[in-house]
Amino acid sequence: MIITKPSDAELHERGKRFSKGTWQHHVLQRWIEGGAVHDSDNIRELIQLEVQPSEILFHESGETVELTAIARWQDGTSEDVTELCRFSSNNDAIAEIDETGRILSGERGDTHIVVYYDKAVIPVPVVRPLGASVTSNSPQPKHSIDRFVKQKLDKLGIKPSGICTDAEFVRRVSLDITGILPDAHTVREFLADDSPQKREQLINRLLESPGYAAWWATRFSDWTGNSDEQLTNALPIRNVATRLWYEWLRVRLEKNVPYDDIVEGIVAAQNRQPGEDYLTYCEKMTEACKPGNEAVFAERDGLPLYWGRRNFQTSEERAIGFAYSFLGVRIECAQCHKHPFDRWSKNDFENFSKLFTPIRYSANQVNKDAKQDRQELLDALTNGKKLRGGDLRRAVQKGAQQGKTVPFGELVFDSSSAERQRKAKSKGAKTGKIPSGKILGQEEHVLLDTDPRIALMTWLRSKDNPYFAKAIINRVWSNYFGNGIISPTDDMNLANPPVNQPLMDYLADGFIKHDFDLKWLHRNIVTSETYQRSADTNSTNEMDRTNFSHHIPRRLPAEVVYDSIILATGSDSQAEKIRTDIGAMAIAEGKPNRRNQQNFALEVFGQSTRESNCDCDRSDSPSLLQSIYLRNDADIYQRLSDKNGWVAQACSELGVAGPKSQADAREAMALNRAETYRVQFLARVKKFQNLSAERQKKIKPQLQRDYSRVASKMKSLKIDVPKLSAILKDTNSWSETVATTRSDRPVKTVQQLIEDAYLRTLSRFPDAEETEISLAFIEESKTPADGVQSLLWALVNTKEFILTH
Amino acid sequence: MKLHRTCDGMQRRDLLKAGVLSLGGLTLSNYLQMAHAGQVQSGRADRAIFIELPGGPSHLDTFDMKPDAASEYRGSFNPIATNVPGIQISEHLPKLAAVADKFAILRGVSHTLAAHRLGREYVNTGSKPIPALEYPSYGSVLAKEQPSENDIPSLVAVPKAGQGAGFLGIRYAALETNASPEYGEPFSVRGISLGQGIGIDEVKRRQSLLKKLDRRFAKLEESDQLLEGLDKFGDQAYSMITSARARQAFDISKEPESFSKQFGEESFGQSCMLALRLVESGVRLVSVQLGGWDTHTDNFTKLKENNLPRLDAGLSGLLTGLEQRGLLETTAVFVTGEFGRTPKINSRSAEGGRDHYPRCMFMLMAGGAVRGGQVIGESDENASGPRHEGISPDDVAASFYHNLGIDPTMEYDTSTGRPITLVRDGGIIKELFS
Repeated sequence: MIITKPSDAELHERGKRFSKGTWQHHVLQRWIEGGAVHDSDNIRELIQLEVQPSEILFHESGETVELTAIARWQDGTSEDVTELCRFSSNNDAIAEIDETGRILSGERGDTHIVVYYDKAVIPVPVVRPLGASVTSNSPQPKHSIDRFVKQKLDKLGIKPSGICTDAEFVRRVSLDITGILPDAHTVREFLADDSPQKREQLINRLLESPGYAAWWATRFSDWTGNSDEQLTNALPIRNVATRLWYEWLRVRLEKNVPYDDIVEGIVAAQNRQPGEDYLTYCEKMTEACKPGNEAVFAERDGLPLYWGRRNFQTSEERAIGFAYSFLGVRIECAQCHKHPFDRWSKNDFENFSKLFTPIRYSANQVNKDAKQDRQELLDALTNGKKLRGGDLRRAVQKGAQQGKTVPFGELVFDSSSAERQRKAKSKGAKTGKIPSGKILGQEEHVLLDTDPRIALMTWLRSKDNPYFAKAIINRVWSNYFGNGIISPTDDMNLANPPVNQPLMDYLADGFIKHDFDLKWLHRNIVTSETYQRSADTNSTNEMDRTNFSHHIPRRLPAEVVYDSIILATGSDSQAEKIRTDIGAMAIAEGKPNRRNQQNFALEVFGQSTRESNCDCDRSDSPSLLQSIYLRNDADIYQRLSDKNGWVAQACSELGVAGPKSQADAREAMALNRAETYRVQFLARVKKFQNLSAERQKKIKPQLQRDYSRVASKMKSLKIDVPKLSAILKDTNSWSETVATTRSDRPVKTVQQLIEDAYLRTLSRFPDAEETEISLAFIEESKTPADGVQSLLWALVNTKEFILTH
Repeated sequence: MKLHRTCDGMQRRDLLKAGVLSLGGLTLSNYLQMAHAGQVQSGRADRAIFIELPGGPSHLDTFDMKPDAASEYRGSFNPIATNVPGIQISEHLPKLAAVADKFAILRGVSHTLAAHRLGREYVNTGSKPIPALEYPSYGSVLAKEQPSENDIPSLVAVPKAGQGAGFLGIRYAALETNASPEYGEPFSVRGISLGQGIGIDEVKRRQSLLKKLDRRFAKLEESDQLLEGLDKFGDQAYSMITSARARQAFDISKEPESFSKQFGEESFGQSCMLALRLVESGVRLVSVQLGGWDTHTDNFTKLKENNLPRLDAGLSGLLTGLEQRGLLETTAVFVTGEFGRTPKINSRSAEGGRDHYPRCMFMLMAGGAVRGGQVIGESDENASGPRHEGISPDDVAASFYHNLGIDPTMEYDTSTGRPITLVRDGGIIKELFS
């Protein structure tokens, strides 16, 4: 098997490793013939693998370089192991490598050759410049990020693009920091501002605005896996878990709680507050689950829900999910065999997984001290009846609706296995061994007689942790550039090094030194020139897509697209209302994200499903269906013609009739009906008034009943009706039902409206040609309303609207 | 622009991200040479239906049964005869057994990638995933090489695509319906009908206004596949909205009940019927998914109660329907999961399950020049591997392309002249077409 597998006589996963008759074949065969002796006491430990050259610069296609790999062993010896190494190229279009370690240069660009031997994985940077190498007479940038980016660009012979315009900046930075399209007023003001610090000031305003916390809580929800589907049974009360989770994150981002402290609240979460008893816990949670009470939950220290997801129950799932959320590492590759691109072995994976075994969370499990209390709460809800499954759930749900306290599950640290072993040991049993696990890359065992999450958290926030800070930095960076410093953002491994190591190291150092201050990180990134580059390229950087030499347009995230459409098409006052109270916006998780119930547009634009421990659960790719949606969906037509929409507002400002919409037609019908009722009823009143007092007295109750009926119908049509006594006094007190359309005097010109349209969609003024095209179009339209509506439609459908720039 | 990472393929980003590809022409010459020399019969199909069974269907309980194997392999299902003497399939596929003359069964198909994502990428492209480059789906290749008319999408996925356009660029990605048709209910892709009181003239005026105003990225359009893709989707959306053909193609209610009944009342069957309507209307490739095959636990109950009846009704309905409409000769059908399942039944649940097993699996081919009613390849006594030389997914992909008149060895060039072969390691399985 050992021979046939790598020589491909049996299919092997990694393909053929060597052929019969080669020295590899002989070595292996002799080893097997010699009894396959594995001297486990005498394994030499590899201290270092030294690869020469450590960096390669090519100038032409077709150049070659030979790599040499020297292993340094613990016993002080070293040997040339080049022939024993495995090699791979991260981009074989730029550099190919054969099995002897010979590198052949190809296209221009930069990549890494990776050398594997024993547990060592060494990436060797390879560069073939895109332009003439830059002489360093250009001034050193002041901003550290710019300095590190420039160092790399100089190596590649790339001249970065210039700085983006103010209009591009105000749009870009607003969408990136808060996910909210800036309004026309903000854009005008920013463009008119001549303060040299205006970009910094805007950045500060945005970081302090509610949009920052709202949008980033959505992103954190992605990374931590806040999925309604997976949380179905985490709480006894349904359909609230995701909202609680989201709000818990949002409040912390708003307060700028240090990142490590936020994560501690998740990793080391306890469901009870310090000193809290089970009943108080349940009372608080019942309270928190009432609609609008998310803040009650957000005040609590921990987010145990993270541990309550259906796809986070086995220790293996937890190892994988934990590594995904907080390390940006795909440890699952080591689940079945040694990680092919990292040092993790199957053993490392298993040891790491073991750490998660004593943690239990389910809606039906509580700590020992709470069992009695839980039963009593249950009995009170079920009147002592033994209910199970769906019946029990419904009884609990009903109880909660009636304001009764409901029993909640607890996150339990189960040390029973460790205790059994301890007891056995104290009784003298030799076999008694306290179960333990190991933190990734750590030598010492973590004994599972205490909650291992404390040790995990200590490791995460230690300044030597190779992943924790970098993972979040990389994800935040990627939000601003479309590309991580390490790509993909959730796949840090030794064979996938950062495109700019010094840049990553600088950010990680700074972030830790600033006590994991997230706003420091955001501010540092967006104040750099690197972030503020234009999308327009020059001949040296047009091919570059990885080294941050220019802005790369990318499609806006699903939630941002969704909200932007609403803001761009809504009237000033409607949009203002949404911007003030952002809770209903998609960027603030205002739209349910449930399987089968997902909002169509959000789904089509690739909102994250948060289910598979992958940043690719979110998609920013365009598609045909997205184009169809923007061009022709009923949603879009409705928003363009809505009576609270901007087109209606614009028409009123022009002093012309607004757009016809289905809503208008429905409203008109309702008004017609109401008017019929009114006329009929007033006719009855008049008849009544002509009767004798005696007759009137007799018929009054009948009239009263008629009035109630009509009044309730009117109420359903949202039309006020005077009291019956008032009508009897004066039939004119109930005036004609009319739509409240006013024929206003024009307060704006068509040209001004075109400007408004551009500012509210593309965050810039139209140029002269655009104004002229738009003017001519509106003039040639059947009605001004048609023209304005079509203009807004066209602007929402430009690439400029859907992309960052 | 999805990034793909896998355990045995490292991270690969498609070249959209790397930004180095500008795709050159194709070389049909070597394919034509072969065809002229009579080495291969040219394909007859000009459209295709690709049915993906994500999760990995058990081969032992469906199309590669081993009634004589020990009970821990055999499982509880029995084989039944088909309408082709000598070919037996599972008793839970009676309708397919009755039309076995219309499709070919490939047994002992074998590869080495036991992870879902990776296996799917492999069987959806025909090339083993490699770093730095993502291969395109079959449909994306067809969309590029033989695009449909502009008001009909070249490639439709019901409801979602299992694979993107890879290095060809997103402009060749599928139109995903995002929803599946249900029996007896009207179906439409949201947004493709003009029914909002907007006349066609107004739509045309708007489109021309948009063309005039959408200029900000004009300079970058040629070098950026994202911008190029957005443009293409915009134009295509416009064509589809303003034409009735696409709308009608999706409207399965146009089919008489007698016809739609053949497909069964499950959503998968109705998706197959939709696929038929779409290829009939000129869509080049329709992909349909039927999931739920990842039967680590309760393998037999799940297969018997859900998956097999659905597959049986939908696929038999499709093959029969294609024949009734005279489309079977021009429509290449390909059915595959990402791998088979372990021959030995595990003990994870009371009745047992089967785990991922790429070493041995089945695939089905029909339509076009494929000769139905035959079994190609063979697995060993426990279906734990091919008995002789295995068939690779590359071979099947090469044959599928061949059936569609596309040379599987054709090359796409990068801007620097780096050639990428469409199917790297596959050979056409001649028996399929004999």
